[in-house]
Amino acid sequence: MFAFPFILVVHAWGMGLLAGSNAAVGLRILGFAPRVPLSGMQKFYPVMWFGFVINAISGVLLLVGYPTKALTNPVFYLKLGCIAAGMVLMNRLRHRVVRSDKLPSGQGKMMAAFSLLVWAGAIVSGRLLAYTCTHLLGDIKC
Amino acid sequence: MSGWWEWPIAESLHFIGLSMLIGTVGVFDLRLMGLGKQIPLSALHRLIPWGVGGFIMNMLTGMCFLTTAGNQYMYNPAFHLKVLCMSIAGLNVLVFYTTMFKEVRTLGPGENAPLRARIVGGVSLTCWLGVIAFGRLLTFYRPPAYHWCFWC
Repeated sequence: MFAFPFILVVHAWGMGLLAGSNAAVGLRILGFAPRVPLSGMQKFYPVMWFGFVINAISGVLLLVGYPTKALTNPVFYLKLGCIAAGMVLMNRLRHRVVRSDKLPSGQGKMMAAFSLLVWAGAIVSGRLLAYTCTHLLGDIKC
Repeated sequence: MSGWWEWPIAESLHFIGLSMLIGTVGVFDLRLMGLGKQIPLSALHRLIPWGVGGFIMNMLTGMCFLTTAGNQYMYNPAFHLKVLCMSIAGLNVLVFYTTMFKEVRTLGPGENAPLRARIVGGVSLTCWLGVIAFGRLLTFYRPPAYHWCFWC
């Protein structure tokens, strides 16, 4: 009973760290804070990975708690898709843009903008899970 | 807020604002504490307006929650602790900008912030993580006289 709220707290922390640091890197690539050396931003990748790992763990625990609630909701798969796209973009940006201190290309900026979009999508779809569920647990309706 | 769609929209914005705040202010705090030292501090400070934007967005959406269901918050221990964390964070910001910003903003690549600034960074990060935690716990500490379920 006490575990469930605690897992949600960890999940919110991870969200802030993962989506938030990704936003910082994305904004830098888009040209805000231009004097920040891109390669220096690499140091924040462990923060993102930490956020991802604690959210993968807390997410699995939340899923185990209410499997039907998530798995019967299409919005849940939208959220997973956003996260997958966000993680792929996060690593592509690292290898193609952040690691080299060169001025980001147009394509790099497009990727950064798309990254901001999918992280916002992951947050919104995650929040909407509470409102769009149809089955809470087994045959119990939401 | 009376329509069925207003809560989910306001909450989504609140979560996006939270991420903007912790993503920019938190990254700045980590730099103060010694992570990513290659980055000049004043350069990273250019991201702070995005954190302030997130904060303003969250004050506005937060006011929507508060004015719609005030009782849920006024008598909720998690809300009290959330406001306490926000107040400490606010004082901390004041201390930072009045006593050490001038000195710290000249920090170049590879330079460590003085101990006081590291502490301020640590306090800031701890407070904002506390704000997130108590914010997330609000639902579980609603006063018993006022429980309803807005996703039902």
